[in-house]
Amino acid sequence: MTGLQGPTPHARRQPAWKLVAGVLAVVLCATLVSAQVDRTPDGRFIMWPTERPPRPLAARDVNFPPYEVRTLRNGMQVIAVLHHEQPAVSMRLLIRAGAVQDPANKVGVASLTASLLDRGTQSKTAEEIADEIDFIGGALATGSGSDLTFANAVVMKDSFDLGMNLLADVVRSPAFAEEEIDRQKEQAISGLQVSREDPGYVASVLLERLVYGFHPYGLPNSGTPETLAAITRGDLQEYHRRYFVPNNMVLAIVGDVTGEEAFAAADRVFGAWPRGDVPPVALTAPPDPTRRIVVIDKPDAVQTEIRVGQLAIPRKHADYMAFDLASKILGGEGANRLHRVLRSERGLTYGAQADSEARKQSGHLVAETNTRTETTGEALRLTMDEIAKLQRERVSQRELSDAQDYLSGSFPLTIETPNDIATQVLNVLFYELPVTEIGTFRERVQAVTPDDVQRVARQYIRPDRLSIVLVGNAKGFVPQLQRVGFTDFEIIPIEQLDLMSATLKRETLRAGTAPSTTTDDPLFARPQ
Amino acid sequence: MRFRIALLIAAALLAAVALTPLQAAVRPPKLQYQIATLPNGLRVILSEDHSTPIVHVSVWYHVGSKNERPGRTGFAHLFEHMMFKGSKNVEPESHTSYVSSVGGRSNAYTTEDVTVFWQTLPSQYMPLALWLEADRMATLRVDDEAFRREREVVKEERRLRIENQPYGRLSEIIYDHAFVAHPYKHPTIGSMRDLESASIADVREFHGTFYVPENATVTIVGDFDSAEALRIVTQYFSRVPKAARPVPRDIPKEPEMTAERRATVEEAWPLPAVVVAYHVPYDGHPDAYPLHITSKILSDGQSARIVNELIYNQRLCLSAFGSGNITEHPNLFFAVCIVQPGRTPAEAEKALIAEFEKLKTEGVTPRELQRSQNQFARDYILGRESNEDKAMHLAHAAVIHNDITTADGEFDIFTKTSVADVQRVARAHFNQSNRLVLHIVPKGGAR
Repeated sequence: MTGLQGPTPHARRQPAWKLVAGVLAVVLCATLVSAQVDRTPDGRFIMWPTERPPRPLAARDVNFPPYEVRTLRNGMQVIAVLHHEQPAVSMRLLIRAGAVQDPANKVGVASLTASLLDRGTQSKTAEEIADEIDFIGGALATGSGSDLTFANAVVMKDSFDLGMNLLADVVRSPAFAEEEIDRQKEQAISGLQVSREDPGYVASVLLERLVYGFHPYGLPNSGTPETLAAITRGDLQEYHRRYFVPNNMVLAIVGDVTGEEAFAAADRVFGAWPRGDVPPVALTAPPDPTRRIVVIDKPDAVQTEIRVGQLAIPRKHADYMAFDLASKILGGEGANRLHRVLRSERGLTYGAQADSEARKQSGHLVAETNTRTETTGEALRLTMDEIAKLQRERVSQRELSDAQDYLSGSFPLTIETPNDIATQVLNVLFYELPVTEIGTFRERVQAVTPDDVQRVARQYIRPDRLSIVLVGNAKGFVPQLQRVGFTDFEIIPIEQLDLMSATLKRETLRAGTAPSTTTDDPLFARPQ
Repeated sequence: MRFRIALLIAAALLAAVALTPLQAAVRPPKLQYQIATLPNGLRVILSEDHSTPIVHVSVWYHVGSKNERPGRTGFAHLFEHMMFKGSKNVEPESHTSYVSSVGGRSNAYTTEDVTVFWQTLPSQYMPLALWLEADRMATLRVDDEAFRREREVVKEERRLRIENQPYGRLSEIIYDHAFVAHPYKHPTIGSMRDLESASIADVREFHGTFYVPENATVTIVGDFDSAEALRIVTQYFSRVPKAARPVPRDIPKEPEMTAERRATVEEAWPLPAVVVAYHVPYDGHPDAYPLHITSKILSDGQSARIVNELIYNQRLCLSAFGSGNITEHPNLFFAVCIVQPGRTPAEAEKALIAEFEKLKTEGVTPRELQRSQNQFARDYILGRESNEDKAMHLAHAAVIHNDITTADGEFDIFTKTSVADVQRVARAHFNQSNRLVLHIVPKGGAR
């Protein structure tokens, strides 16, 4: 029941009508001892009691729904989650390879491979696959991230076999036809042409580039126009041959089937696929955290996208829970100091959050917000101050409890649909965590103390070494940065940003004439 | 069952051959619910689902941006924000923290037609959600300082969603050109100027006019006992008084178009966009169902016409779709193409119009119709997995159609729609005199 305390006393000047209302209450409502006459905002009189929030009803046990995990002879892990409310089955296949496994200088191979899976196989064209899945009212989607590639399908229960056959076909036997590669490259390059003018996208990818350097987490998963152009059919085939092996995959079958049907179908379509050795990848280590402020100038922006972050810890780490709670106090649901300070108290932004982006290899803490050009300096200063405060001051038990109560209390909300349940199990298997973690989640959340939060905040947060990205109208906000104490920053015009470059700027431009913005305006003449 | 699948595959390989339509194989289960109205006019919908110990509580107010008066665009949404600024028993910002402190989530959204407040929380806290909603329905606090601060938040929301990202203003540009009189002309978020003009007096008046029991529908879906829930709803909401006057519904009508409208607009977007839009009837009109089917045939899945033809075959668009925005009042069916570099807006316009013309002259195939019906079955099934999904369907039927049985009943209309219906409706609405064509080109020419 923490958090359900009554509202704190609220001092308000007593308006004249309220005195009249008080008299009326006595005259008219002598029998209603707890109720009093009030007025609605538009001035009507109503009876409304002063009261505290109601008590909860009796709580029901929260039980994680039944599921079963088996491993096929070839090493593929299969999860069956049975759920019979709706007559549908979804299949979610994860391959343990993503942009991290991109070959050197070929950023975008994983992403392009994923986008081509359903664009033709050895036996079907792209249009035949599309027609087959669409006609039965199914859906098929493929994609990738930094650590994984996925292929998901959903079908009605009477098309379960068809769905499994199609899923296996696109994952096992993609054709990588030249014409289709060309199409997907064209789509990806045009897509980047749009994304690179989206301030929110640019800010997020640049922050990761600053935090992780040339570690794959620092590079844009979807590639760049240059890297995409250089990728060949052979690169995609080689990537597929290396990483698309059954012992490198987890499949969840979720919905209106029996466990036996699910495992038999998995064995039928994937069982004869031989295992393969998955080669390890050599990764560039992320750099040590260093203070660096990069301003990306987009003169027509009306708002500045702000990101502040630093290297932290991976998902599979003993301090994950305490650090995650620390980040939630800074900017997550249940607590969120950034939201309170930036939005509720000052109206500077529509949203302010922080998150511990804990991934397989590593992780980072990131705080993000956006505010109009005129208040950029103020918003950045407040964000930085909150991060420093989290590192410096012990959090109160009350504040930690708010974050804990949300996180543990919302557990039943995260197991509502069959896919929610599958996500929980897939997460644990994907990050190679003990499966018992699902059952002990709420206890582990509640076990964290203010001392734990203080310890991890001190250990991992380095307020003097944060990476900072500001994407917006530089001319409009740069003078504010100096006023709030930031003097050492780089400014890069948005069209010159190149994440693959050590200097973050396009080589061709650097080799040629100097960008005009650095020459004629003193604001932009800062040392790079 | 195996036999039927084999047949489906055979059908897929013979796409050009017209086959006798197959029946949608799996029928979505019907929703179970009760509906009641309190003496003050509040409508209550209850639907039990005991599979997970959580409950979703929503309150739909039948007011959206189409109820705004001139000079106050964006007010319905701005008002939605004010509903989190405290009420008699709830401190400012405390609504959200009460709910999150028990592991619940809460938020709200505003559309052209409705404003929806919702919370999903562990089921034992259902009384808390209902108490919070009743408190702000009856006794919202109105504080000028909070109002001014929140107005800045909403202006930031407008900058974030609309002004600062590529294509953020697309919808606003389309509607501004397509409508002359009906308030659908204005974006729900409103204009900066109107947001600036809004005052605390507007907040008071809006609450008294629209945030009244007879204009509200409470929907509860999840793990609860209906009799107990109705008792708690009655306890907290029956003390909210009836409105002083009827909820106004005098919204200007859009005159019929008599000639095509065309415009070229410049925006700082990376690639040009082309829009072809037609005015279409309201949600619930008999023509609305074939129009929904047309949306699927044009845009749902890689094999849909616009996706397959304009993106895949012609490689003309980075992204493209054509679909109906079917709402309470007559709205638009529009197609958009984001034009690939090296291709022209004129080509995109021609290709989009050709797709509409083809619907009129050649119609759709029985197989395309069957595909769209199977896709509707899927949407009904997958779109009703969560309590929130179910609440949304039930409340939409009750509020927009004023007939809760349409939440399930529409499915039969979709299965009975014929290829002739789809062609008839295309011929009725996809005409030049009812058309808006927009070219939105990068500022200062293509980069």
